[in-house]
Amino acid sequence: MTVQLEDVTVHFGRTCALEGFDLSVAARETVALLGPSGSGKSTALKAVAGFVRPTRGRIRLGGNDVTDLPPARRGIGVVVQQYALFPHLRVADNVAFGLRAARKPKAEVTRRVGEMLEMVGMASYGRRFPRELSGGQQQRVAIARALAIQPSVLLLDEPLAALDAQLRADMLGELQKLRREVPEIAIVYVTHDQSEALALADRIAVMRDARLVDIAPAAELYAAPPSAFTASFLGGANLLPVAMDEGGVTVAGAVIPGLKPEEGKSLLCIRPHAIRLEPPAAASAAAAGGEGVLGSEALGGAGALGGAELGGAELGSEALGGAAMGGAGARGAVEDAVEDAVRLVGRVVAAQWRGASSQVTCLVDGLAEVSVRVDVPAGRRVPEFGAGVVMVLPVEACSLVPAGVG
Amino acid sequence: MLVWTRSGKAIVWTAFAVVFGLLVLLPFLVVIAAAFAGSWNGVLPSDLTGEHLRQALSGDELASLSVSLQTAFMGGLLAVLFGTWGAMAAHGSRFARAADAMHHLPIAVPSVVVGLGLLVAFSRQPVLLNGTKWIVVIAHLVLMVAFSYGTVAAALQRVDPSYADVAASLGASPARVLWRVRLPMLLPAISSAAGLSVALSMGEVGATIMVYPASWRTLPVSIFALTDRGQTFVAAAEAVVLLATTVVLVLILDRLRGRAAER
Ligand SMILES: Nc1ncnc2c1ncn2[C@@H]1O[C@H](COP(=O)(O)OP(=O)(O)OP(=O)(O)O)[C@@H](O)[C@H]1O
Ligand SMILES: [Mg+2]
Repeated sequence: MTVQLEDVTVHFGRTCALEGFDLSVAARETVALLGPSGSGKSTALKAVAGFVRPTRGRIRLGGNDVTDLPPARRGIGVVVQQYALFPHLRVADNVAFGLRAARKPKAEVTRRVGEMLEMVGMASYGRRFPRELSGGQQQRVAIARALAIQPSVLLLDEPLAALDAQLRADMLGELQKLRREVPEIAIVYVTHDQSEALALADRIAVMRDARLVDIAPAAELYAAPPSAFTASFLGGANLLPVAMDEGGVTVAGAVIPGLKPEEGKSLLCIRPHAIRLEPPAAASAAAAGGEGVLGSEALGGAGALGGAELGGAELGSEALGGAAMGGAGARGAVEDAVEDAVRLVGRVVAAQWRGASSQVTCLVDGLAEVSVRVDVPAGRRVPEFGAGVVMVLPVEACSLVPAGVG
Repeated sequence: MLVWTRSGKAIVWTAFAVVFGLLVLLPFLVVIAAAFAGSWNGVLPSDLTGEHLRQALSGDELASLSVSLQTAFMGGLLAVLFGTWGAMAAHGSRFARAADAMHHLPIAVPSVVVGLGLLVAFSRQPVLLNGTKWIVVIAHLVLMVAFSYGTVAAALQRVDPSYADVAASLGASPARVLWRVRLPMLLPAISSAAGLSVALSMGEVGATIMVYPASWRTLPVSIFALTDRGQTFVAAAEAVVLLATTVVLVLILDRLRGRAAER
C-alpha cells in the first residue's frame, strides 16, 4: 500500500517537530528516514501511525485519507524506538496481541505466533516476560509483534539500534528477506545509521530540523549529494570551499581539471575513501626508486611530481606557511598532468585506527580551518602525526554541492 | 549518612532510638499493655486479663468493627475507582492541573471541615443522607479519593504513552487497550492506592465523628466514645483490635500488589 504525507506539520506545544513534510512511499518500496537526533524522524513515523495528530496536512494510505482515522483502523505495523513490549504479557502473548484483537481463531494465533518467533530467532523464548530479555531480544520480539498482523505498511523506528554488529547484520539480512517474502509491503525505516539506510533502502530521505532536506535513490544520494548537509551526514564527506573563475574551479589555488563551475555550488564534496595520501614531494623525490613509503600508487604520483616545477625547498615547513598566506600562489597545490586529480599539500593532525582502515585527519595548507578526513586502507602505512602529506583527489570522485545554511 | 566518625554515628543512632522509642514505640506498647491490664496504679500494669479484649470483640463493639470494615471497603474501593478514573481521564488533558488541585482539596482542608460540609449539604432535600450510613461512606470516599488519585497519577506520569499507542496500532479497540494494557500496567499503583485508602479509612475519625448516625459507628469513633466515658482499658483493647485488623488488611493488599508487580 502506498503511504503519502502531504505537507504534514506537527507541533508539540510550542516546539515544531515536523514542518511541511512531503513524502510518498510506494508499495514494494523501502524508504529510510535519516537524520540527526531530534530532527523529527520519529515524529514523522508517529504521524503516519496515527499516534500524533498533524496540525496541518493530510496522510493517505493506498489513496485513502486516514488523517482522522485512529491507529487501530490503519492496519500499520509499528516498531517504536523503545520497543514498548507489554511488560505484563509473556513474549508469545505480546506477539499474539494483534491477532487476538482481530479475534483470529486460536489455532491460527498459535501457528502464526510460532512462525513469527521462529523468523526472529526467538522461538524458545515464548514463555518469558519482556524484562527477562536483553535489549536486542526485545527488539526482535517487537518486530515479530508488528509483523504478526501482516500489515501492508511497516514502520520501523531505529529497530536495530540496540543490537551488536553481528546481530545487526543478521537482522538486516532478515529484513531484506522479509522484503522478498512480502514484496507488497511498504516500509519506512528510521535510522541514524547511514550504513543501515544504504543497505536496506530504495530511497533515502534526509531530515534536518523538522524538515525534509533531500530525498533520492540511495545510490544517487551517495554519489552526488544535492546538499552539503546530506553530503556530510551520509558517508561523512569532506567539504572544501572552492573558488570559481572563467578558467574553472579551484580549490586552495589548484584548478580541478574537468570540473565545470556551477552556479551556487561553492563546496567540493569528496568521500574520505576516495582520497589517496602520498608523501610530500621532497621526501618522495629523494626516495624515488627506493622502497615506496606509501605503497605503489604513491610512487607513480611521486614520479610525476619529480618532473614538475616544484622544488623540494618550496615544500619545507616555512615555505608551506608562506603558501598558506600567499593566497593566489599555487604552490600549496599541484595539478597532475598524468591522471585527472588534484593534489593538495597539508599535514596530518590526527589519526584513528578503525580496523579495516584508518581515518587520517589532515589540514590543507592554504585552507584555514578546513580539515580533510582520509581513509587509509589497512596495509598502507599511516603517516605520523604532524607529517607533511600530499592528498590526491581523483576528479571522478569530486562533485560540487551548494554551501547551504549552517 | 553525612556522619562518618564512630562516635558521631553512635550519637546519631542514640538520638534516633530515643525519639523513635519515646514518640512512636512507647504509645503503642502502652496501649497494648493497657488492653490487657486489670488495673494500672503503679509504673507497670497489674492483674493481667483478657476480659477487655473479650468485651471489645462482642456486642456493640464487634458491630463497630464490622461497620469499620464495611466502610473501609466501600469508601476505600470507591475511592480507588474514582481516583483511578479521575487520574486517567485527567492525564494529558488540558484540565490536568485543575483536576490535580481539586483532588488535593480534601488533603488541604481539615477533615472536620469536610465532615461539617457534608453534614450541612446532605441534611435536607433534595439529597437527604444524614442519618444513613451513606454519609459516612461518602465522607471516607471524599477523603481517600485524593490519595488514590495522587498515587495513580504519579504512576501514569511514569508510563510511556507508546504502550497504548502500539496496542492501538495492533488493532485493539480503546476498550481493549484499557483493559488489556493500560489497567494491567497500572495494577501495582492501583493496589497500592487500595492499601493506602483502606488503611486510612480504618483510622479516620475527624470527618466521621461529624456525620455518623448512631446505627453506623466506626471503630475509631467507638474508641473515642469509650475513652470519653473513662473506659480506657476497653478502649485500649479495641485499639489493639483496630491495629491488628488494619495490619492484616494492609498485609493482604500488599501481598496482592507484590503479585501484580511481579508480572
Ligand atoms: N511528546 C513530545 N513533546 C514535546 N516535544 C517533543 C515530543 N516528542 C518529540 N518532541 C520534540 O520534537 C523534535 C523531534 O523529535 P523526534 O522524536 O521526532 O526526533 P528524532 O528525529 O526521532 O530523534 P532521535 O534520533 O533522537 O530519535 C525534538 O526536538 C523533540 O524534542
Ligand atoms: Mg526517534
